[in-house]
Amino acid sequence: MSFLKRLKNVFSGEKEPEKKDKSTKSEESKPPVEEKETKVQENAKEVQEKSKETKKAGTEKSVKDKPEKTTSTEKTQSKEDKPQKTKDKTDSEEKKPEKAETNESVKSEDKPKKERSESMTLLQKDRTIVTRSDVDENFKQEIMDAGAETVAICFQCGTCTAACPSGRRTPYRIRQLVRRAVMGLKDDVISDDSIWMCTTCYECQERCPRGIKIVDIVKIVRNYAAQAGYMGQAHKMVGSFVIKTGHGVPINPATKELRKRVGLDELPPTTHSFPGALDEVQGIVKATGFDNLIGYNWDTEAID
Amino acid sequence: MAEQEFAYFLGCIMNNRYPGIEKATRILFDALDVGLKDMEGASCCPAPGVFGSFDRTTWASIAARNLTIAEEQGNDIMTECNGCFGSLFETNHMLHEDPEMKEKINKVLAEVDREYKGEIEVRHFAEILYNDVGLEKLTEKMIKPLNLNVAVHYGCHFLKPSSEIGIDDPIQPSILDELVEITGAKSVPYKDKMMCCGAGGGLRSRDIDVTADFTKEKLTNMRDAGADAIVNVCPFCHLQFDVGQVETNEKFGTDFDIPVFHLAQLYGMAMGVSKDDLTVDAHQISTDPALKKLDEITGGE
Repeated sequence: MSFLKRLKNVFSGEKEPEKKDKSTKSEESKPPVEEKETKVQENAKEVQEKSKETKKAGTEKSVKDKPEKTTSTEKTQSKEDKPQKTKDKTDSEEKKPEKAETNESVKSEDKPKKERSESMTLLQKDRTIVTRSDVDENFKQEIMDAGAETVAICFQCGTCTAACPSGRRTPYRIRQLVRRAVMGLKDDVISDDSIWMCTTCYECQERCPRGIKIVDIVKIVRNYAAQAGYMGQAHKMVGSFVIKTGHGVPINPATKELRKRVGLDELPPTTHSFPGALDEVQGIVKATGFDNLIGYNWDTEAID
Repeated sequence: MAEQEFAYFLGCIMNNRYPGIEKATRILFDALDVGLKDMEGASCCPAPGVFGSFDRTTWASIAARNLTIAEEQGNDIMTECNGCFGSLFETNHMLHEDPEMKEKINKVLAEVDREYKGEIEVRHFAEILYNDVGLEKLTEKMIKPLNLNVAVHYGCHFLKPSSEIGIDDPIQPSILDELVEITGAKSVPYKDKMMCCGAGGGLRSRDIDVTADFTKEKLTNMRDAGADAIVNVCPFCHLQFDVGQVETNEKFGTDFDIPVFHLAQLYGMAMGVSKDDLTVDAHQISTDPALKKLDEITGGE
């Protein structure tokens, strides 16, 4: 019960005490506390069913919603509905995009209560509205076909995020990335800068109770991001070094001196010493189109 | 002729930045009578963070080309870089398991008259020393006991993904600690020992501040444990702890000065190889405090 109370406080803000009076009055005839909780749960079910209806008649509902709230008889129910609905909201971002329509109505209700929402920035952050148009139905299958079939069996336990050293210091959330990818929110995922915060350290994958190849998922998602043009300039530069010299970190004069000093050949026996070998590497990047992908200019030997 | 021979994959950072690691490795393998054959014309592995993240086909094709050089030799590959090991091992594994991918990559390789056959294994320097050479034979070559407290850094791609690599337990391994302690050095336990240095996955070039924040956490934990030096088995981690330590100090106003050695350099020190040959003087973080500590002991003998 105290949890519910807290939720009420959180979501109904200053209006709370006033409302509470009314609710006690209107519930005088009703059975005591425990049953009330059951009722809330039933309400939650109702809400879920409602949101399914909303799918079909979303606009109709949100219009209907507001007048309901003003009638005092309905007040108790609508008040208890709210936390459930809003909670539902946080989940719904990851469940079914369709539910977002219900959320929209919640959001518009909340807007006037700006005073308190300003102190709740952490909760507000999750209020991204997802609709059908954001969903690319093929994305999950594309990831599976690219070699990460296991993406489909994620049950969202969050062990991955808990293990992630990058998540401790950046907005990168690997569990969310996987979920959004499975939902098909392709544009959302590939345009997210935080996907580049993964160091591919495999801590998530080692701990995943489902044995999901999480790092492969990250790399595949990044491949799509790269195709869509979300590439860091410094990454393109590393790519260009490999095209130009065969090495991501090519030799420099200081190291040449060091190599000579310790009795090694000034240039290592790699593409640095074998021009024909470099031709092969360049042939490969031409064949795969990597040169175009990073915008490599063969004349200037630099990124355009 | 040595009984055993490996195709020696150099990569980029070791040979093009820290040649003392390469030198020490050649000296060590000579002493162990294990052959190292140069992979002429090998390239970047290529870097998993950039190539693997941008285009897996290009990544696997360039890696497979490197594998074909070793196939021509008929030798298993040895690399002493976790990143190179990751790229080459993973590509080799993938092309073994996935015939479709193999066909796709061979189509690319055909453009440069090469074909991946899948005849060799990719192996890590430290794992070869542990499993093939053995601690006993290795210990015989260590003539100068190292009185150092060492923070062992495993890095990520040496043991992980463990379901494919299977060298040691990825969460509580002991292979490197054992390899370090035969020199007389003590591997000190420290908090979050298995944590990444922060450089991998393309993060160092994408957002160096985040990378430095990783490194700061590692360095803090290493210093708290009283480490005289950091020992790694990856030139990229090596670079991150060396160059990145300076960057961390600049960004956060810290004063870390923990010397950094690749395992091959540590063995070099224990074998009495000169510090000139180990090129430790070219490190950004002075190795003198660690070397001085060694001199104190030998000076007193």
